[in-house]
Amino acid sequence: MKAVLVTGARSPLGLRLVRSLVADMRISHVLAVDQSPSDGSYATEHPGRVTYLSVDLRRTRKVRELIFGPARDLNVEVVVHLSEHTDGFGRGQSVHAQNVESLRSMLSLCDGHPTIRRLVVKSHAVVYKVSMDLPVKVSEDHPLNLSPSAPQYVRDRVEADLTACARMGLIDCEIVVLRCAEALAPGYGSQLYDYLAGPIVLQNMGFDPMVNVAHPADLVRGIALATHGSGEGVFNLPGHDTLPLSRAAWLFGKTILPVPGVFLQPLYAARHLLTGSKFAYGNARNQMHLGLVLDGSRARRELGYVPTHPIDWPARQPPARETAQG
Amino acid sequence: MPLSVRLLRSINKVLGDRTLKDLRDDLQFADAGHGFDAFGMQPDFVAFASLLNSPLYKHYFRVSSHGAEHIPSKGAAILAANHSGSLPFDAMMLWNDALRNSHPTRVPRPVADYFVSSLPFIGTLFARSGVVSGSRGNVRNLLENGELLMLFPEGTPGIGKPYKDRYKLQTWRKGHCELAIRHSAQVVPVGIVGPEEQMPQIGRIPLEFLGTGVPYIPVTATPLPMPVHYHIYYGEPLPFHEDYSPDDADDPELVQEAADRVRAEVEKLLHKGLSEREGVFR
Repeated sequence: MKAVLVTGARSPLGLRLVRSLVADMRISHVLAVDQSPSDGSYATEHPGRVTYLSVDLRRTRKVRELIFGPARDLNVEVVVHLSEHTDGFGRGQSVHAQNVESLRSMLSLCDGHPTIRRLVVKSHAVVYKVSMDLPVKVSEDHPLNLSPSAPQYVRDRVEADLTACARMGLIDCEIVVLRCAEALAPGYGSQLYDYLAGPIVLQNMGFDPMVNVAHPADLVRGIALATHGSGEGVFNLPGHDTLPLSRAAWLFGKTILPVPGVFLQPLYAARHLLTGSKFAYGNARNQMHLGLVLDGSRARRELGYVPTHPIDWPARQPPARETAQG
Repeated sequence: MPLSVRLLRSINKVLGDRTLKDLRDDLQFADAGHGFDAFGMQPDFVAFASLLNSPLYKHYFRVSSHGAEHIPSKGAAILAANHSGSLPFDAMMLWNDALRNSHPTRVPRPVADYFVSSLPFIGTLFARSGVVSGSRGNVRNLLENGELLMLFPEGTPGIGKPYKDRYKLQTWRKGHCELAIRHSAQVVPVGIVGPEEQMPQIGRIPLEFLGTGVPYIPVTATPLPMPVHYHIYYGEPLPFHEDYSPDDADDPELVQEAADRVRAEVEKLLHKGLSEREGVFR
């Protein structure tokens, strides 16, 4: 029986994860943390199994008070760090503090902590470099996107990922980094979902890259497996569905309009200004051009993670033969 | 089903020959879901690409196939061939020949130069037909999946060789042998006779400065390839999985020895083909 601290607990992924952990009899208590003052339905749904705290993780002192206060008192053994800024256009110091500095504080404070033994960090497929001379199917040793010209959305995620990786083996706490495929659902911070959310999908003319997308249930299962596992490392968590971008748009019921690549960034920036869309083309330019599919062999071997939930495509169901896994 | 796939199936049904009709149903491939593999290959596109290729294969280059029974029926394998002809018609013909003559039907996965995947339309069509960009990780992935690879160890210098160097193998790269040894894959030497004379190259316009990855545009004596007669010779598979252990892939001398064996076998097949043919166009 162990207690688990979950940050970002009011995000859609956090909500799902907390529900899953509460249902797990190996978990004694869940300390759910987010910036939102409301605990939602945690207190009524799971009385005695969940404690909700509103904490601003951007402030180091607040993180310290959390880790050496309630987390120590509840004998928290595992921290699952999900907190991040999900808007593709998010910029500035505050966004960076949420994406990177909160994790940095967490890593420092977990070192030598009396009860915390394991830190699970949710990272992203977007940290990988995509280039024509690199494989389409990427394993964990694939180069990361260290381009200084990458947008903050990408740079923050790469920095957070590397910050966690750099501390592996150096602190008195096991670190697990999970590079997750895009969860194709609203509110999960998926740029691909935001891309497909518009009435018309503008696609880079002449290109139809392969994408891999995950059902949130699979990601929750992957995170739960990492929570109970032992040892540390980096793991890709791919989704069940691997398909061309045009097929994803079609299954989403969208009209695809091919547009020369040079116009896509300004057109999507204009869409952001006019409609408040959260999709920034620059965040996923190379993925939209050449494609990226996560190789989940290591997670399957070491965590026992196999994605089993196909996406609930809203518009059309593919024929039976085409949904079969090879 | 999207309109594009419906259209392809209808075209294949109406225009395809029996081989193509059987192909889609027989095809063994690692379906990653939705009918595509992780690299973007799709059986309907493979059948369609073969259909597009067929007039050239059957009527223009009149490809004669020799020894296709040497293509392994299963497991990781590499078809290693000579490369020539200014434009990659030799790759197209070898791809179609191996596709039509392998039993059970296997899609050879041509390993192309990096820039091919970055070409609009062409990169996508090629990916749907099974072509992969020649990064080490892609090749490793395919061999681990037990696929049949098709590559040209001479690379771009081979296809761009001047007419006076026809049937002289250029620098023979050894990366394919290292991967074959590491993944216990068989290597099938292939000699292609004909394309070395199809489009004599007299010059080239360099394009590297554009940064697109395309090295040059060939300047050829003929605007189109001449209708030379293609002869494709498959040699017996070299059993690297028996002759070497996977750890030998880390020994540069053994890898070089293996690459020299492949090169020598390809040269033998070329000499055989040149001695057996009755003329460039016959």
